[in-house]
Amino acid sequence: MAGWSNALADPAIRRAEALASRLPPLLVAAERVAATVAQGVHGRRRVGQGDSFWQFRRFVAGDPVNRVDWRQSAKSGQSAPHGWFVRETEWEAAQTVCLWRDASPSMHWRRGGSVDKYERASLLTLALAALLLRGGERILSMMPGARPIAGRFGLERFAADLASGTDDLDLASGTDDAGLPPDMPIPRHATAVLIGDFLSPLTDIQATVGRLAATPVRGYLLQVLDPAEAALPYQGRVRFCGLENDGETLIPRVESIRDDYARALQAQQAGLSAICAAAGFGFGVHLTDRSPEAALLSLYTALGPV
Amino acid sequence: MIFTAPWVLAALAGLPLLWWLLRVTPPAPRTETFPALRLLLGLRTTEETSARTPWWLLALRLAAAGLVIIALARPVVDAGSALPGDGPVLLVIDNGWASAPGWQKRVQAAGNVLDRAERAGRRAAVLATATDESGGAPSVSAPMPVPDLRARLAALRPQPWPVDRTAATAAMLAWHQPGTSTIYFGDGLAGGGFPAFADALSASGSVTQICCDATPIRALLPPTTEADSLVARLAQIPVSVATQVAVLAQSGDGRTLARATIAVPAGAATGSAAIVLPSELRNTLTRLVLEGPASAGTVVLLDERWRRRPVGLLAGDVASADAPFAGALFYLNRALSPYGEVRTGDLTTLLGRDLAVLILADRPVPEGAERDTLSKWVEKGGLLIRFAGPRTAASEAPEALLPVRLLGGDRQLGGALSWSEPAGLAPFAPGSPFAGLTVPDEVKVSRQVLAEPGAGLPEHTWAALTDGTPLVTQAPVGSGRVVLFHVTANAEWSNLPLSGLFVDMLRRLNALSAGVATQADATVLAPAETLDGYGVLSPPPRAATGLASNAFASTPVSSTHPPGLYGPENGRQALNLGSGLGDLVAAPPVAGARLEALTEAKGEKPVGPALVTIAVLLLLADLVISMALRGLLRARVAAMVALLLFASQANALEPVANPALATRLGYIVTGDERVDGIAKAGLAGLSDFVNRRTSATLAQPDAIEPGVTDLSFYPLLYWPIVADAPALTPVQTAALNDYMSRGGIILVDTRDSGSGAGFAPGTENAFRRIAQGLTVPALAPLSTDHVLSRSFYLLNDFPGRFTGDPVWAQRDQDRSNDSVSPVIVGGNDWAAAWAVDAAGHNPYAVIPGGQRQRAMAYRFGLNLVMYALTGNYKGDQVHVPAILQRLGQ
Repeated sequence: MAGWSNALADPAIRRAEALASRLPPLLVAAERVAATVAQGVHGRRRVGQGDSFWQFRRFVAGDPVNRVDWRQSAKSGQSAPHGWFVRETEWEAAQTVCLWRDASPSMHWRRGGSVDKYERASLLTLALAALLLRGGERILSMMPGARPIAGRFGLERFAADLASGTDDLDLASGTDDAGLPPDMPIPRHATAVLIGDFLSPLTDIQATVGRLAATPVRGYLLQVLDPAEAALPYQGRVRFCGLENDGETLIPRVESIRDDYARALQAQQAGLSAICAAAGFGFGVHLTDRSPEAALLSLYTALGPV
Repeated sequence: MIFTAPWVLAALAGLPLLWWLLRVTPPAPRTETFPALRLLLGLRTTEETSARTPWWLLALRLAAAGLVIIALARPVVDAGSALPGDGPVLLVIDNGWASAPGWQKRVQAAGNVLDRAERAGRRAAVLATATDESGGAPSVSAPMPVPDLRARLAALRPQPWPVDRTAATAAMLAWHQPGTSTIYFGDGLAGGGFPAFADALSASGSVTQICCDATPIRALLPPTTEADSLVARLAQIPVSVATQVAVLAQSGDGRTLARATIAVPAGAATGSAAIVLPSELRNTLTRLVLEGPASAGTVVLLDERWRRRPVGLLAGDVASADAPFAGALFYLNRALSPYGEVRTGDLTTLLGRDLAVLILADRPVPEGAERDTLSKWVEKGGLLIRFAGPRTAASEAPEALLPVRLLGGDRQLGGALSWSEPAGLAPFAPGSPFAGLTVPDEVKVSRQVLAEPGAGLPEHTWAALTDGTPLVTQAPVGSGRVVLFHVTANAEWSNLPLSGLFVDMLRRLNALSAGVATQADATVLAPAETLDGYGVLSPPPRAATGLASNAFASTPVSSTHPPGLYGPENGRQALNLGSGLGDLVAAPPVAGARLEALTEAKGEKPVGPALVTIAVLLLLADLVISMALRGLLRARVAAMVALLLFASQANALEPVANPALATRLGYIVTGDERVDGIAKAGLAGLSDFVNRRTSATLAQPDAIEPGVTDLSFYPLLYWPIVADAPALTPVQTAALNDYMSRGGIILVDTRDSGSGAGFAPGTENAFRRIAQGLTVPALAPLSTDHVLSRSFYLLNDFPGRFTGDPVWAQRDQDRSNDSVSPVIVGGNDWAAAWAVDAAGHNPYAVIPGGQRQRAMAYRFGLNLVMYALTGNYKGDQVHVPAILQRLGQ
C-alpha cells in the first residue's frame, strides 16, 4: 500500500478525468459561501475583488486614478473631480468543497462487483474533484494538514493528498479506523462530500455529521457498497470474519438469514438517510457493479445549482 | 448367501462408535471475510439443526461403512451345497456330438462344481468320454489342484462323434480313489454299452448326475430325393409332447434358400418335411441345418449325389441333330442347358462318364453291346428319356428299353386326309411328376406313336392326350427308369417343344433322376473339410484318415472318420453323422446317483464388488450433500458439471427458431416421411460439414412448404421428388417462380439415376408433371467449366449417393440472374449421401461406394452452398486468366 500513491496517481487521474469529461464543470450551489478570501465565481453581493460589475461611485480623494472609469465620467458631463466615477466590482469568492473518501480496510474488499469499493470511491472522488476544479471551486481533502487546492491543474496535488491520507492510515494501522472523516477544522459554509461504506454504528456517524452540520457545513453522503453486501449471496454453513478487527460469526445456514440481513441493511440506510436529512445533507447509495457515471451524475445534480 | 471371510463381519460392532463420532462432528464451515459483519452479528438463524449432522446423512454414511464391511467379508450368492465325500472330485463329462447344444451350461455347471471343490480344498480330475481329436481313448486325468483343472476344462470341446462308452467304462474301472465325489454330466443318450458305464460310475463312489437339456436331442438324417423336392428327415429322442423344428436349406455361401418345418408327433422318434425348391436352386444346396442350438448332428452335408445331374443327348440322325428349328436336339439343348450340364457325343463317350439322364431323340437302340451297356446303366440308377420319331415308328423289331410296348407305325391326327383334329393334352394326373404344371391350350399333338393297350398302361402313363392315348410313359428298370415321349423332340409331330411346358417337364424329369454318385469303388478319399462339434466346417483333425469311396454308407462316424467332406474338389463325398445313427434312445439315470437338472445350475456370484460400488456411490452422494450443506455447491458449478457430462451429446448445429436470424438450408416437404427424414438428416449433415470446413455458419435446416413458408430467408432449397407427388397449386408455383427469379436456388433430386437407377422409379415423370408451371430455364449438363465445379473445391463430377448420370443446370450462355442457375436438376440422391444419424454415422451406403464418393458428395454440397451464398463470385475468378491475357495485349 505504501507505493499506492505512485501506482495509483496517473492511471487513476486519467480515469477520473475521462469520467468527469462527460459532464460540464461543476459550480457548487452555495447560499452562503465559505469564509475564504480566495477568488472564485460566487458573488458576495459586496464590493470587492471580482470580475463582475457591481456599481459606479463618485470619485473621492485618495482613489487611484487608474480606477476611474473614463467613459462613465465623460458621460456625466460634469467637471472633474466632481463628475468622475470609479468602477467597482462585486466581491466574488470560490466555494470550498471538502472531499473525503473512506480508506478503511473494509473498503478494500470486493466479491460481487468488478472493482473493490475503495477503488470506486477513489474514482468518484477524483472525478468530482476534477469537475469542481474545472468549475473554479476550491477543493480540500479532509485529511489533517491538507490545504485547499484551486486551479485547473490542482488535480494531481489533490490525488497526492488523497494518497497521503492512505499512507497515514498505513502508519496508523494499529489503531482502529472507524471509517469516518477525522475531526479537523474546515471553513464555515463549505460543502462536504463524504464517500464511504458507512457500516459503522449510526451513533458514530451521527456524531460526525452533526459536528459538520454545526460548523455549519452542507454536504452529501454517498454510501458505496459491494453487491454482495447488498444481497448476501452465500449459501450453507459459513463463518464470516470482519475486516476491521470486529470479530467473526458462524452462520449455520446463510440462506435462512438473508431476509433478516436485508432488513438490517435497510435499517442502516434508513438511519443514514434520517441523519443526513436532519443535517441538511444529501444521501445516496452506489453499488460497485453499477456504472460510476450514475453515481457521479447524482453527486453532480445534488451539489450543482438546481 | 455365504461369507468367505466371515470374521470381517466383527467390524460391524464398530458401527455405533462411528455413529457417535459422526454425530458429534458437524460439517466444517467455510470461512468468508465480510465487511458488513456488524449487521450480521445481531441476526439469529432459525434453523439450528444443521449444526449437527442430519440423521439421514448419518444413516447414509453408516450404510456405506456397513456395505464396505460386508463386502470385505466376501459374500457369495447362489453357492451350491458342499460336495459329498472328502477325496478328489471327479468330473465325468460326455463330450460327444449330443452335448454341443448345452455345452456352455455344462461348462458353467462344471465351473460351479470346481468352485465348491476349491473352497473345500479338494483336488479334482476330469474324464471326457469321447475320443479326442488325436484319437486318444478317454482316460481319467490325474487328480490336480482346481486351478490347473480349470485350464483343462476350458480346453474341452464337444466332439462331432459319439462318446466311446466302452473305453470310458474301462477308464472308470481303473479309477481307485477313496472318498471320490463323482459328478457326471451326461449327454442323455443311451447305447454303446451305457449300462456297464453306469455301473462303473456307481462303483466309483457317490455320484451326482447333472442332466439334461430341456430341448430333446435331435439329429438330422440324410434326406431322400423326390421328383420336385428334397425330404429332410429328423431323428429325436421321443418326448411326450408334439414338437416342431425348422430345417434350413443353405447354399454354399451360407444363404438360407428354403425353410421347412418338421412336426414330430408326441412320442415319435422321427419326422420329415419336404423342401420344395426349383431344381437349379436345389443344385446349389450344400447343407441342411436344423434351426436351434448347433451340433454336428444337426447338420447334413449334401454332396454331389444331390446336385450334379449331367444330361447326355443323343440323336438318331446325328448329322442334322443340331440344325436350327428342325434338328432333333435343338429344342432339348435350348431347354436343358440353362439348368444343368448338357453333354453330347456318341453313346460310348456319354456313358464313359457319369451321367444322370440320357435322352435319346428318336434313336433306336439295336441289340448288341450298346444295348447291354445302356441297360446296365439304367439298372444302376440312370434315367433314360426317349423321344419317338419316324425311326422308332419304323423299327420292326420289338424295341427293348421302352416303358411300354408300341404298336407299329404312327398315328396321325388332323391333316389333309384326316377327319380328326390335332389333339391337346389332358391335365396331368396327381401321381405324375408333372402334376401341378398348367397345360396350355395351344399345345397340340398331330402325330404320335401308340402304346399297346393293356391293363398296366394307365399306371405307366405320366401324361396323356385328351383322347386318353398316352403321351409320356415310364417304367422302372432296376433302380433306374425309362421314360418315353410319344412324340418327337422337335416341332415336327407336335408343337410341345415350342411351349414352355416342355422346359418344365424336362426339368421335373431331370430333378427326378438320382444324381451322379461318384464312382463307388475302393478309392480312398482323404478328408477335406470336417465338421467340428458345433457343425462348422473346419480343417480335419489330426486323427482323421481317408475313407474308401464305397465304404461311406457303412462307416460309422468316429474320430478317425469325422463327419465332413472327403475327396477332391470336384468329387466331394459327404460323411454324415446322421447316416450311421440309429434311433435315439434316452439314457436311464445312473443307479444311486443324486440327480440335478442342468438348467438349474446357476453360477456363484461374489457380490463383494457390487457392494463396494454401492458404498462408493453412497459416499459420493454424501460428498455432494456435504458440499451442498456447506454451500460449496453452486447451481452454476453443478450445471457446468452436468454440461461437461452431456457435452458430447450436444448438437453442433444451433437451433434458431427465427429464420431471419441465421442462415440455413431448407428442403421442400414431400409428405413422404422417409424421404423428408433423409432430406432433413442430409441437410443437417451438410450444414455441419459446411460449418466445419468454411467460415459460413448454417443453422438447423428447415422444412419448407412453398406458398406457406416465407422463402426469402433461404439461399438454397433441396427438393427430393417422390413418384406420387401431387401437382403444385398455383400459389406454390408462383412462390417457387418468385423464389427462383429473385436469386434463390433449388436443387431438384429425382433420386433415381446413374448407379442408382431403379431406386425410385417414376420420379422423373413425376418431376416432369410437377414442373409444368415452373419457369425452368434452358438446361445443359454441368461441366467442369461451370462455377459449381470450382466454387470451393475443384470437382470433376458431382456424385451423391449415386453417380454416373449428368447433373443439369442453366446453360452458361444465359446471362439472366448474373449467370447463377436458379435450378439444378439431378438424380444422385445427395441428401442420402450427406445424411448423418444421431450416432454420427452415415446411415446410407453410397453406390458403387467408397469413402471417396462420400467425400466428393460432401464437396459437391459445399460447392453448392458456396454457389448459393456467393453467386457468380467465383465465376468472375474463372475469367481471371482471360482478363489477364487481354490486359497483357
